[in-house]
Amino acid sequence: MSDYGSTPPPPPPPPPYGGYGMQAAPPPNYLVWAILSTIFCFLPLGIVSIVFSAQVNSKWAIGDVAGAQRASELAKKLTIWTVVVGVIGGVLAVAAIIAFGALLGTTGSVNVN
Amino acid sequence: MAVTAPSGLTRLARGRRALLLPLGVAAAAGVGVAYLSNVDPGVAGHYPTCPFLAVTGWYCPGCGTLRAVHALAHGDLMTAWARNPLAVVGLAYLLVTWALWFERTATGRRPSWLAPPWVLYGVLGAILTFWVLRNVPGWTFLSPV
Repeated sequence: MSDYGSTPPPPPPPPPYGGYGMQAAPPPNYLVWAILSTIFCFLPLGIVSIVFSAQVNSKWAIGDVAGAQRASELAKKLTIWTVVVGVIGGVLAVAAIIAFGALLGTTGSVNVN
Repeated sequence: MAVTAPSGLTRLARGRRALLLPLGVAAAAGVGVAYLSNVDPGVAGHYPTCPFLAVTGWYCPGCGTLRAVHALAHGDLMTAWARNPLAVVGLAYLLVTWALWFERTATGRRPSWLAPPWVLYGVLGAILTFWVLRNVPGWTFLSPV
């Protein structure tokens, strides 16, 4: 997968528990938020944020601390945007559904999710 | 790092305050589940339809989650699984994640283990596969109906 002829640099040494090393902890990958926003908010953007979440881990694993931090920041931003777009889109969609229902004179539709 | 090491007491006080966030999230989730448990999502009109389903006519990976949580709140794992298996697995994952978060916040420990990247890409692949397959005719064991 990531082997292109050269051996990757060794990963940062695992910190001892309670250690105070500067790079003791990998940057957060926001995977939980990325997944939740993907499923419940806006799929296309959410997928991209999951990819950046995964990049946090893969870059950290090869010792690319700066890259992992950049991916972490991007994953966070994209997740926020996924939620924003999803919530706005959801509100618009629900409004449209209600308006459409009122137009057709139906009261309540089949309830899914 | 810190010039002066915080005494055990101040560290404990800060730890207590930090615990408010995970506890608040748990309380909010509890309120949500309690509401969902009492207001049946299986009854039309209680909740709006999934926007993605309403617009495209296809199930999204989250469709059936409300009914799954409702069933789980009533102890009906089989029904929950039938409505959305991904939601059941996801909720279990969320519970574990929350417990680890709480533990980390309480002890001040930093995360020391990082999942291999293929696991994360695997999760993404699983969600997308689930999304497609639950729309395949005949694969009702994955669809929310």
